Amino acid sequence: MSEAQKHVWEGAIPLQIHLHESEVTTLPPPPPALVLAPRLGYLPLLISLLKPQFSSTLPPGVDTIWFEYKGLPLKWYIPTGVLFDLLCVEPERPWNLTVHFRGYPSNILLPCEGEDSVKWSFINSLKEAAYIINGNSKNVMNMSQTDQVELWGSVLNGNLETYRRVASKLKLGTFEDEYMENVSSVLIKSPQSPGDTDVTGQVKTGRIPVRLYLWTVNEEFDDFEDAPQIDNWDKVSYINRPVEIYKEDGKYFSLNDAVKRILPEFFPENSFVTEGDANINQIEEGESSSDPGSSCNTLEIAEIKFVRVQGIEPILDIPFSWVVNNLMNPEYFLHMCVCLKVSKSNAVQ
Amino acid sequence: MSSELPSSVRKVVVHLRATGDAPILKQSKFKIAGTDKFAKVIDFLRRQLHRETLFVYVNSAFSPNPDELVIDLFNNFGFDGKLVVNYACSMAWG
Repeated sequence: MSEAQKHVWEGAIPLQIHLHESEVTTLPPPPPALVLAPRLGYLPLLISLLKPQFSSTLPPGVDTIWFEYKGLPLKWYIPTGVLFDLLCVEPERPWNLTVHFRGYPSNILLPCEGEDSVKWSFINSLKEAAYIINGNSKNVMNMSQTDQVELWGSVLNGNLETYRRVASKLKLGTFEDEYMENVSSVLIKSPQSPGDTDVTGQVKTGRIPVRLYLWTVNEEFDDFEDAPQIDNWDKVSYINRPVEIYKEDGKYFSLNDAVKRILPEFFPENSFVTEGDANINQIEEGESSSDPGSSCNTLEIAEIKFVRVQGIEPILDIPFSWVVNNLMNPEYFLHMCVCLKVSKSNAVQ
Repeated sequence: MSSELPSSVRKVVVHLRATGDAPILKQSKFKIAGTDKFAKVIDFLRRQLHRETLFVYVNSAFSPNPDELVIDLFNNFGFDGKLVVNYACSMAWG
């Protein structure tokens, strides 16, 4: 296991958590709770630390814990570290959150019944990743109860050794970095397949599950302090597109290549047709689109403002295989927060 | 500052299949905008079946995140020109 993986698993965010004023029934109000939240964890799992501190002041009612940041309810199924990277463009330490035990905003957030819901979400993400990598979820579905408990326990407790031991049974594999004497050329092997050569002569290896959280801005900002605030989940596009690593002689597939491959809408010169796109065109044959935006009269030109993975902003030239091997989450998804500056200009028809 | 993806709106055929004792819909195939989130499929099923608790899966394998775009699910997991969505009233497939 690499040093980077250890750092990721040990990563934590200092939180200062205030109970929402509408739920304070005592004077003086309780002081905020100070906790270290694991980056790979999920906010509802903090309830055992928070409940004792705030229980004596809560109004009568049933507990349904939820968190908000600057008025934005936080999605509990997104890992804590990803929420921080996405919403705290200028990192805030401690991160000031508000906790609620009443008035769950079910119009915005999925219901969460504590740890069981979080575990259910985690296991389903793992099954989805397995499906992307292997074409089925059988290895995860056939896990023994003991292994499932151990795997989840390792995530809860941040135990990388136990996690690696149990996860290795899932045979989801990782991509190996083979640095040649010339560091600029990196060969990437996949344990699943020897690699297929496509029409351009590039060698294509296995599929990597990626969850990309895309946030676009129209105005320029040089300092993160000046970046527009995400105050609404509609401002974030949640994109799930697996990345296939392509390698050519003398070149390696970089993080920059990966972002552009995931977002061909914004980087048209990098666009390529996937099988899925072809299928969709077949479905729509004979139909005219009623969408006024579908006649491509605007060209999207985008500039990558930042890519954040596990709290770091890697240089975009870094080999993508290194990012995958070292920075992916325990459910085998690589979570990437990407901010693009988009300017629209009329394209020549 | 909307983050709408600038791709044209495409329709995806979603095939809804009942599992276990879940009621079967009269119409099982629907077209839905690819830019819609999977949450819309879940809400549609809840309304059709008048059930608050529903377990919804893709390809009898996993429950996608409700934020996932239908187009991404189709591109990743669709086959034969459609996205197969299974629904059950109790938990199925682990």
